[in-house]
Amino acid sequence: MMKRFSILTVFLVATLAFAETPEQYFDLANQAYQQSKFAEAVQKYEQILQSGVAGGELYFNLGNAYYKSGNVSKAILNYERALKLMPNDDDLRHNLQLANLMITDKIEPTPRLFLWDWWDSITSSVSLRTVTWLCYCLFVLVIGAIILAMLAPSYAKRRIAFVGGLACTMLLIVGLVVFIGKLHQVNTTDTAIVTANITTVKNSPDAKSSDAFVLHGGVKVFITDKVNDWIKIRLADGKVGWMEQKAAEII
Amino acid sequence: MVTSGFTQSLRGTSCATKQSPSLRKRLFRFFESQYRAESRKAVLRSARNDMFVITLVLLFTVSAFAQDPSFQASVDKNPVAVDDRFTLSFALNNAGMGGGKNLKLPNLDKFRIMMGPSTSSSMQIINGAVSSSVTYSYVLQPKEVGKFTISAASIEADGKTYTSKPFTIEVIKRSPQQKPQKAQQGLSVNAGVQEQLSNNIFLRASVDKSRLMQGEQVNLVYKLYTRVSVQNYNLTKAPTMTGFWSEDADMPKQIQLSSETINGKQFQVGVIKRTALFPTQSGTLEIGPMEITTLVTVRDRRTWDPFDSFFNDPFGRQIEYVVKSEPVRIKVDPLPAGAPSSFKGAVGKFTMNAKVDRQNTKTNEPMSLKVTINGTGNIKVLESPAVELPTDFEQYTPKVSDNINRREAKVSGSKTFEYILIPRYPGKKTIKPVEFSYFDLEKSQYITLKSSEIELNVEQGAAGAAPFVSSNLREDVQLLSQDIRFIKVARPSFTRQGEYLHTSGMFIAMMLLPLAGLAGAFVYACQRQAVMSDIVGYRNRQAIKVAKRGLKNAEVLLNQVASGNDGSSEKKIRFYSEVAKSMWKYLGDKLNIQQADISIDGAVNALTTRSVNEETSTALKSLLESCEMARFAPTSLSLDTMKTTYDDASKIIVDLERTLKA
Repeated sequence: MMKRFSILTVFLVATLAFAETPEQYFDLANQAYQQSKFAEAVQKYEQILQSGVAGGELYFNLGNAYYKSGNVSKAILNYERALKLMPNDDDLRHNLQLANLMITDKIEPTPRLFLWDWWDSITSSVSLRTVTWLCYCLFVLVIGAIILAMLAPSYAKRRIAFVGGLACTMLLIVGLVVFIGKLHQVNTTDTAIVTANITTVKNSPDAKSSDAFVLHGGVKVFITDKVNDWIKIRLADGKVGWMEQKAAEII
Repeated sequence: MVTSGFTQSLRGTSCATKQSPSLRKRLFRFFESQYRAESRKAVLRSARNDMFVITLVLLFTVSAFAQDPSFQASVDKNPVAVDDRFTLSFALNNAGMGGGKNLKLPNLDKFRIMMGPSTSSSMQIINGAVSSSVTYSYVLQPKEVGKFTISAASIEADGKTYTSKPFTIEVIKRSPQQKPQKAQQGLSVNAGVQEQLSNNIFLRASVDKSRLMQGEQVNLVYKLYTRVSVQNYNLTKAPTMTGFWSEDADMPKQIQLSSETINGKQFQVGVIKRTALFPTQSGTLEIGPMEITTLVTVRDRRTWDPFDSFFNDPFGRQIEYVVKSEPVRIKVDPLPAGAPSSFKGAVGKFTMNAKVDRQNTKTNEPMSLKVTINGTGNIKVLESPAVELPTDFEQYTPKVSDNINRREAKVSGSKTFEYILIPRYPGKKTIKPVEFSYFDLEKSQYITLKSSEIELNVEQGAAGAAPFVSSNLREDVQLLSQDIRFIKVARPSFTRQGEYLHTSGMFIAMMLLPLAGLAGAFVYACQRQAVMSDIVGYRNRQAIKVAKRGLKNAEVLLNQVASGNDGSSEKKIRFYSEVAKSMWKYLGDKLNIQQADISIDGAVNALTTRSVNEETSTALKSLLESCEMARFAPTSLSLDTMKTTYDDASKIIVDLERTLKA
């Protein structure tokens, strides 16, 4: 970890030699965007990302810059990345929706069990950071209740502390479940966006195998398997096939 | 599929008062073919639903039975006579009902296209074998005698191009079967008569200017010059006017004849058609020839001898003769650049007037805004001027009416656009000036007319006056355009990629903090618990202190008795009870038993089991007994006895303390 950090620092110094902090460089990129120099803005945002920092706003702005320079699939990719960090941002949801309107392939998601939709709406409505803090607060409350239950002078007070502690523990368990789910969602590398303009999905991980279907840029795919340079993908409507890994980028 | 050719021929028939049988026959043939095509289509339409099912059921078999597409060209007669019409049809077989596209005709220079293309389609299913055919027909008329090759035509269907085979058509002077028809009409027309007639009857098309601006009016006049008696005429081919908007002038029912001298010959001249043309595109435009069939009375040349004429038919012979005008070319200049935004192609001279039917109105009550454009020019092609309304007005597409005067040399008139408006909210509203632009030919510049602003006073209408206004008429905020939202410019705080709050050192430290608190609380609680649970040891340790305190009280009482010399039995009893209490308390604490639970013997036994020597326990027993006795007979007790008791008690406690501690 330490080594990685030092490498990143070196990288940071190398790439951002002319701007002191990524934040200042971010301002420069924003200026380029405001002057409608979208390609330049894209380049600058990407440089900030290469320096090893991340941020929802950064991905959002990069997505905007890609959108304005006509690369919708890259825009969607970056909006999706931003969504992991700031799932509650209204602007982000709007822009992602708009970008998704512009992709060629129309994919009707297959209906799922409503519980999954609930779960998704829960995990996608809070950020990992929020869940972490929430769990922390509940943890502190539980500890406090335990201490109170141990040290309270009277039986009544101990009882109140015990009941309160139990309730907090329940909430903490729920919070931890959400936290783990969210952590998985954030860390997962099984969703990707097709970044190639057009790619042919094969029936097996082999360029010579028969064509299953054709995908256009911007489509979200779920990666279910990987063989060499080929990834097995599943679409929201249930279609399955193999495509070259380089045609898609993991969110 | 009524084609332009068809309408032209209709126009031709409508002005004919009497038709020649051959023409009638030709037209009938045409109608019949059209009708057949129409009825075939109707049958097809009604059969389409069934066909869809059949198509579904037989999808695979059909594809197995379907025949290869082919494209064939054919004519309905060959040879054909000059001036006789024939039908050239191209049949696209088995290429689906959609037909083909991009039909490329062969070179037909030697023929005149009288009408076409008209399209008909048919489909047959015989024993599962489907054959469909789409036919494009043209009615042609040869221009000259000879053998002509109709070269290959091509068409695109299903992404492929099909070509027809070229074939030869022979054009002869007069078809043999037409002769009897002519004979019924009159005597055969020999070449001499034809030539004779061509000098004596002709049709002239003239325009009043040959170079003009786009949208400018040009008058086209067709005049028939004749030196022979024309019984009747009949428009057989209307001129083609591609690139023009034309307005036929109203013609008087009876043709006014005048005389004109050309090359020393006197001609009767009649204007048979007058058209105002407005070019809609620039460039060199051609007005095609117009053709009329005249019925003229001729007399044989030899009968012109006045002596013979008496014996001949005084009315002459009637023959049919086709007169054709020359095509007219017109050069049209484009309008100059710099047209205002409200310019929509109006050329001429116009005035505009915009007014509302009332200025005070109520909400939900329809009102009208009338924009009237008056003037001369291409009035018919005027488009409705854009009216900018306050946003809370409901606007409907304008009702357009025009009134065009075609009698004058210049087409003039007015066009009225009536906009129905419904104000939805009360208040003072302003309709922005209506703009209308036209190109003024005299000044040769664009002129924009602007009406004045229209002020409206809208009052709140009665709620019941417009029951149709329900909540669904409420308008959403209209999105003018959909675009992505702007970037975030506020400085964010970046995190390292792959670094999360829960793995950061600070967070882990913060997690440890309550845990440390918990641990501290636990340790404290444990200690307190330990202290609480060692109550026996506590009592043991405290026993000597308590006993000494009790003996101290007893000593005070003893000293009082000794010094005060009052010798009251009350003090003595208190002394003994104090000593006894101290002793019992000490024993209770030391032996961890409740004072009430022990008797003198029990205490002695307990002490013996704790290996207290006989001497001490005997002394304790006698002391306790004497204390009990003293409480019942206090007066018998002397000061010395009391002192002895006190000393014994002190000694016993010290002894016990030593023994029990060990």
